[in-house]
Amino acid sequence: MTRSIRKLTLLALLAWMLALGLTACGSSNSSVSGGSGIIVAKGIQTPRTEAQSGGKRGGTLTVLNHTDFEHIDPGQAYYNIDYEVIYATQRPLFSYKPNTFSSPSPDMASEPAQVSSDGKTITVHIRKGVHFSPPVNREVTSADVAYAIERGANPNVPTPYFMSYFSSLQGASKATGGPFPGITTPNRETIVFHLTEPKAPIVLAALVLPLSAPVPEEFAKPYDAKKPTEYGNYQVATGPYMFKSDSAGKVLGIGYQPGKSATLVRNSNWNPATDARPAYLNQIDINIGGDPTVIGRQVLEGSDMVQNEAPAQPIVKLAYEKFRSQMEISPGAGDHYIAVDNKQGPFSNISVRKAFWAALDRIAMNKARGGELVTNVMTHFIYPEIPGFEQAGGLQGPRVDYNDYPEGNAAVAAKYMKLAGYPSGSYTGGKTLQIVGSTGSPSAEDAEIVNQTLKNLGFQTKFTLVDSSVMYSKYCGTPAEAIDVCPSVAWGADFGDPQAVLDIPFNGKNIIPSGNNNWGLVNDPEINQAMDAAELVVGTSARASAWAQIDRKLVAQAAAIPFDWDKQPSIESKDVAGVGDLWNTGSWDYSYTSLK
Amino acid sequence: MTRYIIRRILWGILLLILVTALMFVLFRILPTGEPARLRAGRNASPRVIAALRRDLGLNKSLPAQFWIYMKEVIFHFNLGYSYYSSAPVRGLIAERLGATLSLMLGAAIIWLSIGLPVGIISALRRRSWLDRASMGTALLFVSAPEYWLGLIALYLFAADIGKVKIFPGAGSYVGLTSDPWKWFTSLLLPWLVLAAGSAAIYARLMRSNLTEVMQEDYIRTARAKGLSERRVVLRHGVRAAINPILTILALDIATLLGGAILVEVVFNIPGIGQLAYTAITHSDFPIVQGTVLLGALFIVVANIVVDIAYAYLDPQVRYS
Amino acid sequence: MSTASEPSLRVEDLRVEFSTEDGIVKAVDGITYEVGRGRTLGVVGESGSGKTVAVMTILGLTRAQGANITGRILFQGRDLLSLDEGELRKVRGNEIAMIFQDPSSALHPLYRVGAQIVEAVRAHRDVSKAQARKRTIELLGLVGISDPGRRVDDYPHEFSGGMRQRAMIAMALANEPKLLIADEPTTALDVTVQAQILALLERLQGELGMGMVIVTHDMGVVAEMADEIAVMYAGRIVESAATEELFAGPEHPYTWGLLRSIPTLDGPRVEQLAPIPGSPPSLIDPPSGCHFHPRCAYAQPDHARIDPGLEPVQGEPSHRVACLLAAGERRRIWEGLR
Repeated sequence: MTRSIRKLTLLALLAWMLALGLTACGSSNSSVSGGSGIIVAKGIQTPRTEAQSGGKRGGTLTVLNHTDFEHIDPGQAYYNIDYEVIYATQRPLFSYKPNTFSSPSPDMASEPAQVSSDGKTITVHIRKGVHFSPPVNREVTSADVAYAIERGANPNVPTPYFMSYFSSLQGASKATGGPFPGITTPNRETIVFHLTEPKAPIVLAALVLPLSAPVPEEFAKPYDAKKPTEYGNYQVATGPYMFKSDSAGKVLGIGYQPGKSATLVRNSNWNPATDARPAYLNQIDINIGGDPTVIGRQVLEGSDMVQNEAPAQPIVKLAYEKFRSQMEISPGAGDHYIAVDNKQGPFSNISVRKAFWAALDRIAMNKARGGELVTNVMTHFIYPEIPGFEQAGGLQGPRVDYNDYPEGNAAVAAKYMKLAGYPSGSYTGGKTLQIVGSTGSPSAEDAEIVNQTLKNLGFQTKFTLVDSSVMYSKYCGTPAEAIDVCPSVAWGADFGDPQAVLDIPFNGKNIIPSGNNNWGLVNDPEINQAMDAAELVVGTSARASAWAQIDRKLVAQAAAIPFDWDKQPSIESKDVAGVGDLWNTGSWDYSYTSLK
Repeated sequence: MTRYIIRRILWGILLLILVTALMFVLFRILPTGEPARLRAGRNASPRVIAALRRDLGLNKSLPAQFWIYMKEVIFHFNLGYSYYSSAPVRGLIAERLGATLSLMLGAAIIWLSIGLPVGIISALRRRSWLDRASMGTALLFVSAPEYWLGLIALYLFAADIGKVKIFPGAGSYVGLTSDPWKWFTSLLLPWLVLAAGSAAIYARLMRSNLTEVMQEDYIRTARAKGLSERRVVLRHGVRAAINPILTILALDIATLLGGAILVEVVFNIPGIGQLAYTAITHSDFPIVQGTVLLGALFIVVANIVVDIAYAYLDPQVRYS
Repeated sequence: MSTASEPSLRVEDLRVEFSTEDGIVKAVDGITYEVGRGRTLGVVGESGSGKTVAVMTILGLTRAQGANITGRILFQGRDLLSLDEGELRKVRGNEIAMIFQDPSSALHPLYRVGAQIVEAVRAHRDVSKAQARKRTIELLGLVGISDPGRRVDDYPHEFSGGMRQRAMIAMALANEPKLLIADEPTTALDVTVQAQILALLERLQGELGMGMVIVTHDMGVVAEMADEIAVMYAGRIVESAATEELFAGPEHPYTWGLLRSIPTLDGPRVEQLAPIPGSPPSLIDPPSGCHFHPRCAYAQPDHARIDPGLEPVQGEPSHRVACLLAAGERRRIWEGLR
């Protein structure tokens, strides 16, 4: 090589190293990713979720989101990011104020619901003076709420959680989008739900979901007849804001351009006297796409902007170090735990499950997720902000030896292995464990820790990582596959009731042959019975106690191995007075946020 | 000649059908999320999933589904419906073509106007410091990953987050018709990033081609005729050196028309590349199928155009 | 103002050196010759003798390669070596034209033949495209291409080898040069076509009255075409004479070798061709003394020390030779060889 070529090669190499360094710092494609950024929190922010009174009226908030919405039709929306726009434009019967995830307030309802003594009838009175946005314009009646819920059974919609929460309505299982006996409207202002069983508490709790936001039948029916429904692209609003639309009410291409942008403007027919929401902002411009590290910086360094999803890991670090006042961290954003096969294989033995729990280093698992800033060590199954959390043990959790050591304890693990019938403290059976985790940071790192922990316990493992949706749909969600360990499954409650946290993942009767969410195939008759009974308990604190007991039972059974209670960071520009929704992973609430 | 063109077009159509069929098979075979289940969302009841399967035509046999899809594409230009975005695929693609086209054209102009002259000068002044400097820089840009280059460009020059605030930041793209000046300024940095690697490639290509060509006998003849050196270099040298470059150019443009995914994502330009990227991350198959088909179409067309053009560019090819 | 006796071209002590990584290549090591008006000079030698470089330098085509050139090349009262590039360009293709060895690669493959000739015309004459085209068709007819009005728009690959060379000649003659340099004009052509081309060149020379330099390794070609011959070896002229003189009485052992290595139609079949043993010498570090001595069958020991210059041959003032053997000795050896 001639001298000059060598020099140039060196230069190129240097540039490469620089590139690698910058890439490690600067790029990330997933939202809270782990890896190199270990953050040790000094003083965790309390989220500002109190509704700010006296906020400045007016202005346009710009939202930068890397992720697009899944659905903007209130009958289909089911993800946190959808709720950001849904709850600014639609008014369900009940909804949460920003600072709570346990006590809903009447929203479209004028007062709390009345439940009959036998628990089979729920009566709700509708607020007067609430009008649909243009072009429908007329006042909302109970029939609109009825239609909204009925369309949940329409296969052209359909609402994913309809059967989970509304199956106890009379005739619901046969409904296909038309009226059914379970919902009646004696007059314009009253809607009555008739149940086949006394499951009023869960039905009532589910009325905070967007399904109960009124939908005008005469306007929506033609769209609901399409396969799939197109109502979302033409929707009308009852909330303080609406998707920008043309005179015919078309939203697609105007107020929502999939993958590109969404625009919320004031609903001209919204009457502030009927609504507790202050609605300071005049307009919300949502920009979709872009590199997460770039948009994070744009928000932090810019003005009148927020990012309304979990920021990239390096951005969280940057915000914590340089823009601390512009970041809020909200607890109760969900959890992550390890599902183990309770039905067959080595983990059908309770002592093996306890040994695994004792052996796992939950601190390490959470470090991979970003450390103390964005996680809490999970010690039982109801998570913070959900009623029952304290009763089930609070942050520390039930004091049993296998739960007492967040960093893992080999001695305790060995004790339980011996109890399980392995005198050496190590597994000596012949079965190779099937472990299926998901790719991407930090799930892959967590899966590796799990794999190693099990190996240390003496297991042979067959360890695979696949795409997250594949992991759920093909492997962990299909009981026939008999996967032994699913290293990081996640759960978030649909509403602030402990049943929403525990029932589907841990009730034996919820095991279904495909799309199963009881990943551990947990089927303990005593626990099942307790759950069925707790389902019928009325009253927030009574339910909290009942379900907290079940939580303790699940811990006693080591039904699954917990490790992470999520806390979600949210970032804003310096001149935004953001208000976050505790019940929606701390996402900024457009109806309460204002500009400084 | 016409027979030749017709044959090429028929081959092209066959290729497109094969590509579509391959995609069809891949999406159904690979362990990805099942479309009906993805559409139905979390916690969907089996009844709902079954109804969706019926509606999506998933309960028909694979060849039947393929036949239906091809019929829709060919006769109605209907590329299917994206359940994820609740919009027809055709519309989604059509509204993003403009951005991708803008990105591609501007970048092509820049990389040609920089790369070709640099290559020519380097070829004429081989081993000079100018040659070494430009080829060294070219090597750097060829090796630099586009995404990284884009990020660096933003962190250095973006008006919102950069150190030297010159260019508009990511996400500032608007259509040409809505605000021509903003359209132009928002594309400058993406153009430069996209053009950097290509300019380098074309410079190196031109340099090596021209160096070779200048050794040819007909260059000596041209000089012996008493032509000016500029005429010799440009009309005799570059004219011969540029043929292979034009074929590569056609393919590059066709590939970029399918979407410059990395640059579009990092600068948040709503083009076909970003559409494809989002669709892939969401397993939104109808869109992925549509964008792949579109990309394949562009490349097939470009190949045919190149074949035909070559007959004009190089007369020796015409009669073979 | 030139008179009939003044030569078209006079090269004086031309030296051309190239610096390479291995040393300085003395491609042309001091040659002097002239070309008379309307006369043809043949320059013969093996590959590596420096003959091509010598003629390329006349038109300044070696300047680009960083050659170090000394001496004088006088043409029409001017020293071409003293001209700058711009002035030299006015001479190229205009007053001095050149044709090359391989017509299939010497014409640009992507332009029509006519267009290339038009370009040659318009480079030096201020005429319209239409006029230049007319002239081109005329030229094509002149060089014997049939149907020139149609052929003018053909591409080079549509011409046969002979036609291409004719086209090249047409291009060279486009501006009626005073001097035509032909570097191996027939080497790449079939034998029958060779004869045609040579005849054409002869005819044109007669018609246009131009001087010609033909560079070749083929003694048969110069026998046919040249009035004077210069034999080059190792960058120098080792023998120069009028054609008849040279063939009647060659004086240099190298020339003998050249003549004897040509097959002749009238020789006995069994006779073996006698190539000159050895290979051309290095031009960086040529042999000491007489450069030919390592390959000369008649070399004496002190030929390795003394470097001969060109001396006239007795009785033939235009015949010069650079050889250390005595004249009588040479005559005797040649008689024996014939």
